Amino acid sequence: MKFSYSWLCEHLETDKTAIEIGDALTNLGLELESFTDYSSYSKFVVATIKDFKKHPNADRLNICKVDDGTNTYQVICGANNVKKGLKGIFAKDGMYIPGTQIHLKKGKIRGEISEGMLLSERELNLSDNHEGIIELLGNFENGTSAIEALKLNDPIFEIGITPNRGDCLGIRGVARDLSAKGFGKLKPLKFDKIEHLEFESPISWNIKNDDNSCEYVVSRYFKNVSNSKSPDWLQKKLLSLGLRPINALVDITNFITLDLGRPLHVFDADKVEKQLDMRLANSNEKILALDNKEYSLDVNTTVIADSKNTLAIAGIIGGDFSGCTDDTKNVFLEVALFNPNSVAKTGRSLGINSDARYRFERGLDKNMVIEGLEYASYLINKICGGTVSKNIEAGKLLKHEHKINYNFDYFNKVIGFELDSQKQKKILSNLKFQIIEINDKECDLLVPTWRNDIKNKIDIVEEIIRIYGYENIKVSVPSTSTDDVSKINNSSINKKFKAIKKLKKTLLANGISEVVTFSFHSTKAHEILKGDATLKISNAISDDQSFMRNSMIFNHLESAELNFKKGFKKIKLFEIGPIYNSSQSQENILSLLISSEENKNSIYKSEKFNFYSLSKLLSNLISSLNFDIKQFHISRSTSNIYHPGQSAELYMGKKLIARYGKVHPLVMEEFSKLKDTYAIEIFFENLPIDSIIRITTNNILDSQFQFSEKDFSFIFEREQNLFEVQRFVNGVDKNLIKSVEFFDLYESKDLGDNSKSVTFRVTIQSKDKTLEDKDLDQLHKNILEKVSNKFKAKIRS
Amino acid sequence: MDIKKVLIQAKKDIELCSNQRDLQDIKVAYLGKKGKITELLKSLKDLSLEEKKNTGAKLNLLRIEVDNLIRNKSDKLKIQEINTKLQNEAIDISFPPPNSINSKVHPISKTFDEVINIFGSMGYSVAEGPDIETDYFNFSALNIPENHPAREMQDTFYINDKDKNDKPYVLRTHTSPVQIRTLLDQKPPVKIIAPGRTYRCDSDSTHSPMFHQVEGLLINENANMGDLKGTLIEFCKQFFNVQNLKVRFRPSYFPFTEPSAEMDIAYEIVNNKIQLGQGERWLEILGCGMVNPIVLKNCNVDTNIFQGFAFGVGLDRITMLKYGLTDIRSFFSGNLSWIANNGFTIGDY
Repeated sequence: MKFSYSWLCEHLETDKTAIEIGDALTNLGLELESFTDYSSYSKFVVATIKDFKKHPNADRLNICKVDDGTNTYQVICGANNVKKGLKGIFAKDGMYIPGTQIHLKKGKIRGEISEGMLLSERELNLSDNHEGIIELLGNFENGTSAIEALKLNDPIFEIGITPNRGDCLGIRGVARDLSAKGFGKLKPLKFDKIEHLEFESPISWNIKNDDNSCEYVVSRYFKNVSNSKSPDWLQKKLLSLGLRPINALVDITNFITLDLGRPLHVFDADKVEKQLDMRLANSNEKILALDNKEYSLDVNTTVIADSKNTLAIAGIIGGDFSGCTDDTKNVFLEVALFNPNSVAKTGRSLGINSDARYRFERGLDKNMVIEGLEYASYLINKICGGTVSKNIEAGKLLKHEHKINYNFDYFNKVIGFELDSQKQKKILSNLKFQIIEINDKECDLLVPTWRNDIKNKIDIVEEIIRIYGYENIKVSVPSTSTDDVSKINNSSINKKFKAIKKLKKTLLANGISEVVTFSFHSTKAHEILKGDATLKISNAISDDQSFMRNSMIFNHLESAELNFKKGFKKIKLFEIGPIYNSSQSQENILSLLISSEENKNSIYKSEKFNFYSLSKLLSNLISSLNFDIKQFHISRSTSNIYHPGQSAELYMGKKLIARYGKVHPLVMEEFSKLKDTYAIEIFFENLPIDSIIRITTNNILDSQFQFSEKDFSFIFEREQNLFEVQRFVNGVDKNLIKSVEFFDLYESKDLGDNSKSVTFRVTIQSKDKTLEDKDLDQLHKNILEKVSNKFKAKIRS
Repeated sequence: MDIKKVLIQAKKDIELCSNQRDLQDIKVAYLGKKGKITELLKSLKDLSLEEKKNTGAKLNLLRIEVDNLIRNKSDKLKIQEINTKLQNEAIDISFPPPNSINSKVHPISKTFDEVINIFGSMGYSVAEGPDIETDYFNFSALNIPENHPAREMQDTFYINDKDKNDKPYVLRTHTSPVQIRTLLDQKPPVKIIAPGRTYRCDSDSTHSPMFHQVEGLLINENANMGDLKGTLIEFCKQFFNVQNLKVRFRPSYFPFTEPSAEMDIAYEIVNNKIQLGQGERWLEILGCGMVNPIVLKNCNVDTNIFQGFAFGVGLDRITMLKYGLTDIRSFFSGNLSWIANNGFTIGDY
């Protein structure tokens, strides 16, 4: 909300400067968002161009003789509105120009000396206008300060009002809060009540079937007014806050909205019938509003209407049809109390952000209804003349008293230091709470009618500390208990973050960088990856972000393509973050993508990245979490993201641990720039990270006795799962077999289409002795027999 | 006797020899079974005892000297041969390696880690909640009823699916629902932080539809606003690594805290760069307050016994401030050169 210092001072008698007021506002919770103060502009003065001639060396420049009342200066000026006798604003050598942020320096411009500058509005930060230099219209003497000439003597505050502080949506409310802080005295609101309410209003109210959205409405009828331009003081007030004056009647309602925070409405009485209804709209009902837009209303909207026309959307905006114009002769003034909830609901569903809605939905001071009516009547009568009717009302203005029981010790408990009850009481009484003493420690408090936000004793504590000052809260740090520490050590989520860090370090060590991408999917990605229907975002910003993602691979392919276009030939990236299975299920996974062109470097050769390179990387990642990839079950992946022949899934029981492989060529069609692309997804939340202790494996050669190695070759069926073979061979003699390492795979027509030849090396070692040949022979025989029986494998000689 | 001649000849032969094989031949020619020196030694038998003794000693010296010469030459030749071999094996050591970019983690990861560590040292464990939240957890339970203007403080993304209360799911607009989930799940005392993704439908250089927050919650029998202030000042000192930190707490409003505050830290511009800690200008860092008893009651916490505080910090924002980054959109662009320039290597992470 914006207001000027002088306007504030109409409500507040204060000796504080604007800067002091600005600080106090922030300390009151009315955050000062901007403060425009031109006091430093007194150094700029009015000056007249006495004479000018063309610059000899530059077509567009003029050499001006400028008189600032004390001296005459030569000024080189490029503005196109230079003329003899022009009065402008002059800055001398050495002065700081706020709009350009430079200090003027005397010097030659194309060979001619320049001793100062005539300023544009932009150079003074007054507007964006840089068309020419400022041309003053009044008859100011040379040397008059710019503040006076440009009427900049009134600083403007702009404050942010939090939703609880509806009471500060009028300048008077702000003044009231400042006075509670001791920053001045609230002046009484000065106006004369209309003495002669001469006749009955010819228009009356009927509240019916409005879903309790209007508690009370009161009106007066003004006969024979003359509406035209507002008086100067009113126009200036509105202009000072950047509002456009319209006509006196409209300006008065706008003024009272800003001044008291009390929205009200005026109807042109000749455009409405004798009875106005407050009722719910019919379906299909429409209204052309004062903002020149047509709104379609629904059955939850409360409208003001007569039997022919819809006249206004209650508490939000008036209708164009019944609005006051310069021709308005008779006026019907409406001051109502609308339910904040229904105004909020309607305002939101129609998308109208009016000053009235903003105030109604934050709750108004009930006492301000009659005050607003009287104040508006006074101004209308004073400015537009005519006669005023008696009040006509409908509904009931219920007196609402809110009482809170409060114990002074509660402040100390919540805030952490002692503030004696006398000081607390003083603050509360400055805030206009009525204090009903019970005993030394306790009292009942009557909440001021304008503070609808204060409901409980904790709100009282906030009010006291708000006025006393947050800067006075004494700082302390709670201690860390052993209980806290053991909770951290046992927290499965803390453990998960540790596991994530291990993964990230392993990824970095493998040359893979981290990206963070949006949790969204485009419609296309959603369709290709068959996301759940419940993942649609109803109010997405763009089609690119219209679903929650069920995989990161698409995001990463997009990122990879972007980087490829930027010249990256080898793209290795990962992300650890959420994917969404449905609106009720999400999990954090690791997803990585590797996309590289063939390495053409004949010196620094590297093997072509393939499925097996990916397997090795996955194995590293899994072991960084203290798991062994071989303990999982492997099967082909059926995911349509991956190449069906070059992708796999790892399971622990029924839980998916990882999915990896070459990205499906059909998916890659969307990313034609990218060549061979591989991805790994690790569903690490499915791992029992919680129960990890460092695993020790028996395949480490830690015996002092001699080891022996033996190679075996078998012909298996082509789809034989070698993870199973490996586990089986390991199990033939758990004590003696230290490792089983596969190192050759051969598929050929000679073997038959449905066969593969596989070679592995078995390392054998005993903990207790050097094995003799007969022991070894027996074990070798065992392996040969068992493997060929179990897997129907042929031994290859 | 031509012992001297033999020696001169042997020296000459050894000197001129240029490889091990020739040297071997020389050895045979002098010291072999039929070698010159061996022959001379054989001829001693024809000499008198006196001469035998005299000449024998000389011949023996000759044998030893020639043998030594051959050995030395052999060593020399060996070194020469190895050197020649190594020289032939030399490669171009100046061939430049391919350009590589250090792999790095995203700055937000570094911040996550630091935040978890700093609060961990103060005794906070980590808690979590889902990104797709119910209306109740994201708003109502936090004392933000429907149609309350506070709902418009946050532009909410809605999901096209309804929860069991027939309300559309929302993308959580803050990490605060984790307060509710945790309090419903654990009995006080509770001391947690909850870092994670949050969403608001807003997009420009300072707003991103997705961003990160960390929520903090401490509920026990006596945590007060002084504790809140102390905790957050300590956090900022450690996170921004500024010991002399000027801060400001000012009243604000969040429906779920009462009293509510925002914390600003002072800064100044030095050489066109933001320097945190001192100065006359203020930067908003976080929102906080004492947990509103209404919220505690919603979580079945006995407000006659328990009270506490909560805070929420924009993690992207404090990351940007700490490292002088200006555009939040670049955080989520997936641009690897941005990561290379602004991320952290394995040693720094």
